[in-house]
Formats: sequence, structure tokens, C-alpha cells
Amino acid sequence: MTFTQLLSRAALVSKVGSRSFFQGSKADMTNPNWIRVGLAFGSAAFIWGLLFKQNSADLHEYRVRNGLE
Amino acid sequence: MWFLPEEAKALPPPSLFNRNSAWLAFSAGLASMLHNAINHKPPLKSGVHRLVLATTIGWYVGYHVTKREHYHFAKVDRDMTEYIKLHPDNFVAKDKKTFAEIVEPFNPIR
Repeated sequence: MTFTQLLSRAALVSKVGSRSFFQGSKADMTNPNWIRVGLAFGSAAFIWGLLFKQNSADLHEYRVRNGLE
Repeated sequence: MWFLPEEAKALPPPSLFNRNSAWLAFSAGLASMLHNAINHKPPLKSGVHRLVLATTIGWYVGYHVTKREHYHFAKVDRDMTEYIKLHPDNFVAKDKKTFAEIVEPFNPIR
């Protein structure tokens, strides 16, 4: 084969350097990344728990400091 | 917390449902919806997990902002009442007159 043909075949094999335009693809939105979804919901639930704990701790601290408990 | 002194713990904690929380949660949720819209995705139907996480973080930050706000205004009120107590001659109560004492006698001319 010609020099150019050999070089273009190398691009298909080589994993370093730039990627060909014909290999890039859009993100697949029909299959969600469930790990990321789980992490997002999990951390949201965790932060809600933190908030409720902080609020009840603050309430308890207020009552103790003002002699109501 | 690191942004509030010890004496702030003697204040009653704010309700979980407060203005700063609601506003910041709304803004964060709106930001996540805008992020979807900019990337040509349906704003409300896509990335619900991101919306929930953003709203939660906004609500959490708003709660602590409200605590700081309460402490600031409590401090201002306390300083003001202490100043009034230390300088009573500047805050003499005025004698109150009723309207009957001020108003001239009414002589109807018909």
C-alpha cells in the first residue's frame, strides 16, 4: 500500500494522540449512569439527614443552655 | 460551626422551613434546570438526581445562613438594649398628653 494508506490505518490502531472524528459519539442518554444517579440521590439523602440531625442538636443545645431541660 | 461563636448556641434554632433555605434551594434547582437547558436537554425531565441534589445543598446552606442572620440581629438587639440601659438619660419617656388637653375649646359658630 502507499505510505498514506499505511499511515491512515495506524490511526485506527493507535490509542494515543488524537481521535478520529468518525470515532467520537454523543453521550448515550437512554442508558443512565446508575452509579452516578445512586451517588447523587444517596448524597442528597445524606445531606437531608445531616440537616435534620443538626436542627435537633441545635434545639437540644438551646434548651440545655436556657435551662428548659 | 466555624462561622458562629459559642454564644450563638443559646439562640433558638431557626425552623427547617425558612426563607433563605427556600430561596437558595430554588436558585440551585433553577441552576440545575438551566444547566440542562443549555445542554439541549429537557429541563425538568432529565437529570432529576442532579435537581434533587442541588435543591438539597441549597436548603442546607440556607439553613446555616439563617442561623448566622439570627445571630447577627440578636447581637444588634442586645447591644442596643445594653446601650439604652447604660444611658437612661438619653431615653427619657415623654409625658403623654391626651387630645382633650391639647385641643382648644370648640365654639361652634353657626
